Amino acid sequence: MSDKNKILFFDCSEAATCCDKAQYAEANFFEKIKLTIHLALCKTCRKFSARNTKLTGLIKDSNLETCPEEKKKEWRETIQKEYSEEKSS
Amino acid sequence: MPANTLDPNKWVDRYSDYLFNYTIVRVNDREVANDLISETYMAGLKSAKNFKGEASERTWLISILKRKIIDYYRRINSRKGKAEVKINYSDDYNEGEWLEEQVSDQFDKTAEDEMENNELGLAILDCLDSINEKHAEIFKRKTIDGADTEAICNEFNITPSNLWVIIHRARTALAACMEKNWF
Repeated sequence: MSDKNKILFFDCSEAATCCDKAQYAEANFFEKIKLTIHLALCKTCRKFSARNTKLTGLIKDSNLETCPEEKKKEWRETIQKEYSEEKSS
Repeated sequence: MPANTLDPNKWVDRYSDYLFNYTIVRVNDREVANDLISETYMAGLKSAKNFKGEASERTWLISILKRKIIDYYRRINSRKGKAEVKINYSDDYNEGEWLEEQVSDQFDKTAEDEMENNELGLAILDCLDSINEKHAEIFKRKTIDGADTEAICNEFNITPSNLWVIIHRARTALAACMEKNWF
């Protein structure tokens, strides 16, 4: 996506960033309006936006979770300890 | 020289989330999942010298984890077995009713869907493996943990525009990968 495709002083890379922000509900009102206008006029970005939204849906459906950080820290320490003991023995 | 070598100090950062999501589908209890994962790491360390390098590190850890999950079910089943009440279908009073009880449960379908969705989660984590580790970490914090932009920026010492560029690249790579592997 290059600057060539500038629609109303709003190029595709800016639109992409707005679209990303919108996926996390962090785009402000002004950005949303700019994005909507851009999407109406730019096919490439429409495609990107659809794909991006689909990805958000997939992630939401997957119920992914991350391990709590304190657990990870605990494991990291035990492994480090055990591993160095193993190596030295 | 084997194709794969073990690097236990990286295990936690590389595989914890994958192992966690793998386990949580199968045992449905966070505490138990955490215990099983730490048992897996310990068992992995102990038998590290038996690692032949034929499988990838993660496949190897998953195979240990599978044993641990089976062991866990054996353990709770032997405890349950003592108080188990055997239902006797041959008794006259209930004759015929057993057939109805054997009919498949419609709600099972949702359980299956859920399984599929959890496999979806593992597929997403698989795809995340292929992008830069740091970027994957930031993407996970933002998307899965739902952390604030500001909090992540402070944590990783980056500016918001850095963050959005990283998120953008991660999302593009992830979307491409998912299109190839999932659909």
